[in-house]
Amino acid sequence: MLECGDIMHKILIIEDDEIIRNELEKLLTNSGYQVLILENFQDSLNEILKLSPDLILLDINIPYINGEVLLKNLRNYSNIPVIMVTSINSQIDEALSISYGADDYITKPYNPNILLLRIGAVLKRTNQNFNILNYKDLKINLGKGIITKGRKEIILTKNEMIIFSYLLNNQNRIVTRDELMTDLWNNDEFINDNALTVNISRLRNKLNDIGYKNIIETRKGQGYILL
Amino acid sequence: MKLKDYLKDKILEITFFLISIIIIFLILVAFKINYQVTISIIIITFFTYVILLLIDYFRKKNFYRDLLCNIASLDKSYLVLETISEPNFYEGKLLYQALYEINKSMNENVKSYLEQLSDFKEYIEMWIHEVKIPLSSLMLNYNNKNIVDVSSKLSLKRLENYVEQILYYVRSEHASKDYLIKEVDLSKVVKNVGLKYMDDLLNSKIAYKVSNVNNKVLTDSKWLEFILSQIVNNSIKYKRNIKNSYIKITSIDYENKTTLLIEDNGIGIPSCDINQVFDKTFTGINGRTLRNSTGMGLFIAKNLCEKLGHKIEIESKEGEYTKVYLTFCKNKYYDVLK
Repeated sequence: MLECGDIMHKILIIEDDEIIRNELEKLLTNSGYQVLILENFQDSLNEILKLSPDLILLDINIPYINGEVLLKNLRNYSNIPVIMVTSINSQIDEALSISYGADDYITKPYNPNILLLRIGAVLKRTNQNFNILNYKDLKINLGKGIITKGRKEIILTKNEMIIFSYLLNNQNRIVTRDELMTDLWNNDEFINDNALTVNISRLRNKLNDIGYKNIIETRKGQGYILL
Repeated sequence: MKLKDYLKDKILEITFFLISIIIIFLILVAFKINYQVTISIIIITFFTYVILLLIDYFRKKNFYRDLLCNIASLDKSYLVLETISEPNFYEGKLLYQALYEINKSMNENVKSYLEQLSDFKEYIEMWIHEVKIPLSSLMLNYNNKNIVDVSSKLSLKRLENYVEQILYYVRSEHASKDYLIKEVDLSKVVKNVGLKYMDDLLNSKIAYKVSNVNNKVLTDSKWLEFILSQIVNNSIKYKRNIKNSYIKITSIDYENKTTLLIEDNGIGIPSCDINQVFDKTFTGINGRTLRNSTGMGLFIAKNLCEKLGHKIEIESKEGEYTKVYLTFCKNKYYDVLK
């Protein structure tokens, strides 16, 4: 992520279960985020403001203060995006959290890939100029589904664009097929394994046509990586 | 209370009375009392008795008629004591008092069970929330290990589904309202359920075909997600071993309702079982012969549907297909408010 000229996003985890906290830290670090952990729950609000993260993952059941109350207090000072993470799966709690100013609400146990997608979506919403991405001398217009290289233009299908932009947003690390599949299904493209393989090879061919040969490498048994 | 039955009940008393009248009559005749005096005494005694009998009959009749009538007409017959007033004759009073005491002790009895039940439900809900924490860390841990091990992933998902099932079972039985009706995008619910079962669907090579679900319905999205999950879960569980297995989801919009149709080409449901699939713990032939089934999924789904005011119907041809229709009403009042 750093090399695409993007800043590394700081994510603060506020969660009192140590095992989950450590696993989350691993997951987010592997996905290219900088992870901060709140150690001192007694003075949560000031700690948060001091750390000034780009996004907060906030558990509702935390010591000393309820997560919803903390969120409400936080909103008096700052607009940092907050994703509530909780084991209470109820529409009422969700509505309450959103009304207190949460940007999203995820229930445990969550699919880690979906958690990553939601984090990406919230960050994307807060960073406005995300519609046009760059890769080397390519300009990628997500909205139009077009990649331009100078005057040359190639048109990607919706599936190809989802795959390419996911790889691009997670450049320099191996992206699993599972992650790609989750992102596709998350965009209402309920395709199967064969279709994913076909889409990737089509995407490779199209990139090949504009002179980028073998930029998507297959790592056997692990996934793909965009060089 | 019929007069005939009442008199039958009093037969001993009446017999004694008649015998005593005959004895009095014989005594009066034996003492050669004036014929007219004898007749008058007999008539007066006789009528006095009949009148007393009738008065007693009508007093009781009103009380017992109210009692029996109200018991029959109330759907909760144990509340009958609230609907009648205390009678003014001794036996009635005794009965009334006895009923009052019985009622009171039964209420206490029921209350203690209710308390136990609500404690138990509270504990279950708490337990569910607790068990989700290690479940989450297991899922994260699985993901962080970066290994492809479909079977442990599917086991985790199954565990999650069972935990969800019990949560919604508790919710559907609970009188409290922990749902929130608002406008929900069907496509979003269908997508979330798809994501939830993505691994299962891909692994069993079932195509998830979604078309035309861009309707909005009034429901609780979490509850609907659970209901749809149970249907999709069944379709996966009871798939046929053919190449082009699918689950098709579409919605049909009518003037006053919206129907979500979930169709699969699985093994279907035998016609002798179809009317019972929503019954609690009903497993049927499929459940017994093919997979271990709890018989709870569709029962809970139906229960939740009833609470939300949706209709759930099932149609199937054995060996060919199963279709489930979820129908949501449109609320005109709500449209006006908008």
